[in-house]
Amino acid sequence: MDNAESSISKAPLPTENTLRARKNVLLQGWRFIALNIRMVKMILKGHH
Amino acid sequence: MARVVILGAGISGHTAALHLRRMLKKEHEVIVVTPNSKWNWIPSNIWVGVGKMTVDQVTFALAPIYRRKGIQFHQALGVAIHPEGGPGHTKAYVDITYTDPTKLGEKATIEYDYLINATGPKLNFAATPGLGPDGNTVSVCTPAHAVEASKEFKAIVEKLKQGQRQTLVIGVGHGTCTCEGAAFEYTFNVEHELRQAGVRDLADVIYLTNEFELGDFGVGGMTFTQSGFETTSKIWTESLFRERGVKAILQAHVEKIEPGVIYYEQIDGTKNTLNFDFAMLLPPFRGVDLKAFDAKGQEITDQMFAPSGFMKVDANYVAKTFDEWRAEDWPSTYQSPLYANVFGVGIAFAPPHPISMPRKSPNGTVITPSPPRTGMPSGVMGKTAALTIADRIAKGVTAPAHVASMANMGAACIASAGSGMRNGSAAAMTMYPVVPDFQRFPGVGRSKQDTFGEIGLAAHWIKYLLHVMFIYKAKALPGWYLIPE
Repeated sequence: MDNAESSISKAPLPTENTLRARKNVLLQGWRFIALNIRMVKMILKGHH
Repeated sequence: MARVVILGAGISGHTAALHLRRMLKKEHEVIVVTPNSKWNWIPSNIWVGVGKMTVDQVTFALAPIYRRKGIQFHQALGVAIHPEGGPGHTKAYVDITYTDPTKLGEKATIEYDYLINATGPKLNFAATPGLGPDGNTVSVCTPAHAVEASKEFKAIVEKLKQGQRQTLVIGVGHGTCTCEGAAFEYTFNVEHELRQAGVRDLADVIYLTNEFELGDFGVGGMTFTQSGFETTSKIWTESLFRERGVKAILQAHVEKIEPGVIYYEQIDGTKNTLNFDFAMLLPPFRGVDLKAFDAKGQEITDQMFAPSGFMKVDANYVAKTFDEWRAEDWPSTYQSPLYANVFGVGIAFAPPHPISMPRKSPNGTVITPSPPRTGMPSGVMGKTAALTIADRIAKGVTAPAHVASMANMGAACIASAGSGMRNGSAAAMTMYPVVPDFQRFPGVGRSKQDTFGEIGLAAHWIKYLLHVMFIYKAKALPGWYLIPE
């Protein structure tokens, strides 16, 4: 387990602000729209 | 009049059937043969597995949909393909055995002009002794498995509430498994539910995987651009593991599972054991036990199918080293090289090679994720085969095949990390293309514009939206075909 654990322990830890932003309904509402647009554009590249 | 037979009604087969019925004139027949009576939106099974959804929320009966759309439905298992026909038949045909309770065990044959093999995977629990619901672990591969997983998980939560420390192991049960994304999702949904129940501090949650590093997901990992920096899915995923306190064991091939103990080998050849109170380990896949025979009745299964049981299509199956792999090796029409009227789509087609770099332990054990080809790519392949067949029926057999290679197709993976409309979370990842193309995208093999990842509540909403949209689409409700695969 050591190989993974040492790498995980050095990974960037999100700050309290980042964690709050990930749950903020207004901000996430905007991200919902933005992500959907970005994903649809990407998906349509491989579709008929 | 032409007849199209589709074996399997998962994402690819069902998509193909609905599109064919929409595109073909009424005089042509579309026939679906599948052993299951219900359609299942498999990505939501992880929520059934933690008790956040019921089986009825992720499944629906196929028969009423097919009746409404004019698709013939046989609840039966496809047993053999006779692509050259045979005695008593003027056309190619398939042997089927009914699983429909009213005809259970009865055998029949169905002739076809075109055949789509969309039989999906055989859940190969037998590859690892003690793996699976008949052994010592649970699974979320089917709704029934997920219900069992949920019951066992609830029992673990009760023990935690009584103050008993518990170890929960979630991951894959063999060195060649695929679907690491599903294991990842279940890991973080379990972790989320433990926190919601107020018992997280007494639980050790361990992710056990055959991936060489976190964030591989069977696609060789991804490179994202975030806040002006390029970062890897490895660092991105490790960050989530650190934040949520989930441990990981990488590069592992599970050899066997005894009650409460997992025996596994790692890529360096070391052999270890891991004690557990709860284990959800996904099985490796192989092709279903479908056989093929020529006109004389001689078995040609080994010509039509790869040793893995998956059907050979228009891929380049010449053995190559990792450095020699090319995007063009991947199939684009899904047409059998032997029979132009037979197609293999979804998990049923044989991939030419993995996407992640292949690795073996010093003992010769292969520890490499198999390439994922579920979800969005499966649906696109089903539609592509349907478009080709519809064209050939309308314009003649020389009509060119439609193409959709996984090396020219994007995919979105919304990996749930906890359910809840206000406190849920998910990791939204997209990649384009699924199979890296290092000639087209030097360096990382994928478009930096279209390959990205983001964690948050919005991604959970998208995961839920996909659940609603794809069940709507699969029910063929008004405008269903406007929803992309």
